[in-house]
Amino acid sequence: MLEFLLRRLAAAIVMLLVVGTIIFSLLVIVPGDPAELLLSTGGGSATQEAIQNLRNEMGLDKPILAQYFGFLANTAQFDFGTSIVDGSSIADNIALRLPRTLEIIAVGAILALLLAIPAGTLAGLRGGGRFDVIASAVNALLTSIPGFVVGTLFIYFFAQVLGVLPAGGYVAFAADPAQHLQMLILPATTVALHLATIIFRMTRASVLEMRGHDWVRTATAKGLRRSLVVRHHILRNALGPVITVAGLQLGILLGSTVLIEFVYNWPGLSGMLVTAVEQRDYPTVRAIILTVAAIFIGINLMIDILYSLLDPRVRLQ
Amino acid sequence: MTAIPVRATRKTRLLPGFPRCMILPTLLLAALILIPFAAPLITGADPVQIAVRDRLAPPSFAHWLGQDEFGRDRLARVLYGGQVSLTVAFVATTLACIVGTLFGLIGAYFRGPFEFLTTRLSDVVLCFPPILLALLVVTLFGPGAGTLVAVLSVLYFPSFARIAFSEALRVSSLDFVEASRALGTPSHRIVLGTILPNIAGPVSVQYSLTAAAAITIESGLSFLGLGVVPPAPSWGQMIRGARQFMSQDPLGILIPCVALTLTIYAINFFCDRLRDTLDPKGALGGGKDETSVPVAAGMVPADETADVVASVRDLRLDLMRPGGPVNVIEDVSLTLRANQCTALVGESGSGKSLTSLALMGLLPGAVRQARGALRLRRKSGEMVDLGALNAKELEGLRGNDVAMIFQEPMTSLNPIHKVGAQMVEAILSHRAMSPSDARARAISLLELVGINEPARRFDGYPHEMSGGMRQRVMIAMALTCEPRLLIADEPTTALDVTIQAEIIELLQRLRTEYANGLSLLFISHNLGIVAKIADRVAVMYSGQVVEEGPAAQVLNDPHHPYTVALLESMPSSHEDLHSARGDRLRAISGTPPLLDARPSGCTFHNRCPIAVSSCADARPPLFVSADGDRQVRCFRAPEAGLEAAR
Repeated sequence: MLEFLLRRLAAAIVMLLVVGTIIFSLLVIVPGDPAELLLSTGGGSATQEAIQNLRNEMGLDKPILAQYFGFLANTAQFDFGTSIVDGSSIADNIALRLPRTLEIIAVGAILALLLAIPAGTLAGLRGGGRFDVIASAVNALLTSIPGFVVGTLFIYFFAQVLGVLPAGGYVAFAADPAQHLQMLILPATTVALHLATIIFRMTRASVLEMRGHDWVRTATAKGLRRSLVVRHHILRNALGPVITVAGLQLGILLGSTVLIEFVYNWPGLSGMLVTAVEQRDYPTVRAIILTVAAIFIGINLMIDILYSLLDPRVRLQ
Repeated sequence: MTAIPVRATRKTRLLPGFPRCMILPTLLLAALILIPFAAPLITGADPVQIAVRDRLAPPSFAHWLGQDEFGRDRLARVLYGGQVSLTVAFVATTLACIVGTLFGLIGAYFRGPFEFLTTRLSDVVLCFPPILLALLVVTLFGPGAGTLVAVLSVLYFPSFARIAFSEALRVSSLDFVEASRALGTPSHRIVLGTILPNIAGPVSVQYSLTAAAAITIESGLSFLGLGVVPPAPSWGQMIRGARQFMSQDPLGILIPCVALTLTIYAINFFCDRLRDTLDPKGALGGGKDETSVPVAAGMVPADETADVVASVRDLRLDLMRPGGPVNVIEDVSLTLRANQCTALVGESGSGKSLTSLALMGLLPGAVRQARGALRLRRKSGEMVDLGALNAKELEGLRGNDVAMIFQEPMTSLNPIHKVGAQMVEAILSHRAMSPSDARARAISLLELVGINEPARRFDGYPHEMSGGMRQRVMIAMALTCEPRLLIADEPTTALDVTIQAEIIELLQRLRTEYANGLSLLFISHNLGIVAKIADRVAVMYSGQVVEEGPAAQVLNDPHHPYTVALLESMPSSHEDLHSARGDRLRAISGTPPLLDARPSGCTFHNRCPIAVSSCADARPPLFVSADGDRQVRCFRAPEAGLEAAR
């Protein structure tokens, strides 16, 4: 088990290094001078002085290897440099906004799991039955609606038509807990809905598959109660693939939350990211993406460990 | 041999070979893709023509869907916006598909560093949430349709590479690829001519998945204002624009939302159906936890003496198919007595396993008991009709009064639970016992079935054991509650010959030493093993018991031509059995009939060497020997001195 953990940890660190290298080299392989590229807006080009300043600021004048190792060393210490637009510390900004993004994702993920795993199990156990047919059809439709569309429609319906929930915005929990939770409902539900469709589908398929295995028949032949057969010999086995997919989706969610935060004006990472992209603040964009990729790799590491606890065979591979 | 009737009810199709369930999704998808490109035919309006006076105008004759916040014709914008979204998505997906598939094929065919590159590449790209990677690139190159196509195709080609790689690996190990390689066909011709067509299915599923994802990302970026550059229309942008005015003009957000959702839905729908068509296994389902309910018969057979442990009377089972029920078991009767081993013998598909599953109340959901009685003696001595029990009572019976060992020890144990836990759970579901007592009992049983270091194995997982050991565990598990009847369904078929002998020996030993009075129903197609272990033999053919009697008599002096043929087809290592045969191995001519195409009359007559013409007319009844101990279902049995029953 220890060996398995160390191996996975080493793989995660290598992956982080590769990701960092790719993000770094993106600037190197860009044709032309990155500073010039970043400062050009539309057709107009920036002054030579501004370009030179930016080159100094981003360290583009140093040799590439020095740039590379400097970048890695700084990143390892969470020093992402300063924004080229307003000179503020990128790390501080991320530290302020990241928890807000993680809050939506965490609440959304919990809602999704609570909704989709029971529903998916039920549909899988009654494969082809009425509940399964209806739930799968609804699920197929919901899967097809992008998150920002759901968000927009939610705002129209709950804020404009019914007027029961705020259309968006953010208040710190410490300042006004009730208001904070009220504002959290729509964004978290939007995140949850999207995630739930994927988890439902996966749970259903996994339960259907596990039901076909011989050990389920063995369990029934032993005279176990039906509920025990379902819990121990179908659901426990089915959860492995489900959490793997859920983990992968959680990572993708870190990205699509950008859109959902934008829809609801939730000041998480996304606002910062979208502004940075609009202003072509490359160091900020790069830092945010590195952070997200690191979180993603972390989630996958946790999923791997969780999976190995669920299924001992994984530890052998 | 009679010809097998072919179902001629299939409807003639418009497109031969085109699966019917694909027609609707294909039409829907084609419509949604083609309509935007038919925009000039549908409306003459210009999607970028601004008319400030008509801002947010409701639908009118000139503008069917109204006008947007700049007074532009909304119908034209939805249609032309669809063109942009679809073009970006499909161009990017196609590029990703071509590059990715080539990568995967090269990786799979040449292996080595190509393989490493192909498999690792997708791991790395998977670390970036796609929309963020797209944003990173947009920062560098600025927004625009060209940037989107480039970034989406880079984003998605690794997933194609991965799928093409794993599928190509699977295909290239198939016989016909090996064969053409051996024939010296050049590499590029094997890859393009042989492997590529065979991986087209999974790749096309990935294609539609990717296209749907690409449309989502394109519209999302446009919604952020970082995708398609205005004033060119796109669905994401239309939603962005209409957002501020949603209270005055809800149509503005609804129309592009519906267009976007419908398009993605059509692609997903197509993709789901395509997947089901390519891999029907996934769509079928059908779990092994599904059991059909036994039917109460209400009759008590006259010959039910105290030593009868289980009896099957006139059992008839039907398989429920869409086209109507198909009979699989016909008039099967068996009496299982204490201290006796009854062997159920026959080719695969003859109904041996179904008969035994019926005794456990474990018939698959698709099989219905049409007639007959299934009776078991409980430990209390009372004889119960399985059909009269409810689900809870059946659970109390299984594993307790009757237990079963299955054919496949490798898959019959749950891989994620410890061996001991699986035994303890069986004990605890029938016995009020403390967990530590149950543990001690399980360990002593493991020891009994000959497992070394039982305490260590108790805490081990099934994958740490060999097939023979797992089968021992299965036997120990079946014995946990000291059942009166043990059903062993081909318990040695999946094992090595030496292990087979050990397991048989173990079963023999347990019968005499451990579970005194145990009745064993042993299912096998191996007559050599049957000769060693069985007291009585019942031979099944095509859902019927064709011969039944004491093992020594049936095996040495078979009356039914099918039993004779079975014995003659056995290898000669069992000399004691073929004193009469010389030394020739004979195959049974013909094949067992399909379930839905059983011949009329005697089901064996078309393979029978001694059949007479009247054999095809009616099902033969059971003929019984003078002492009542042997039964044969053959019209020619009277020649051996048997008489028709009743």
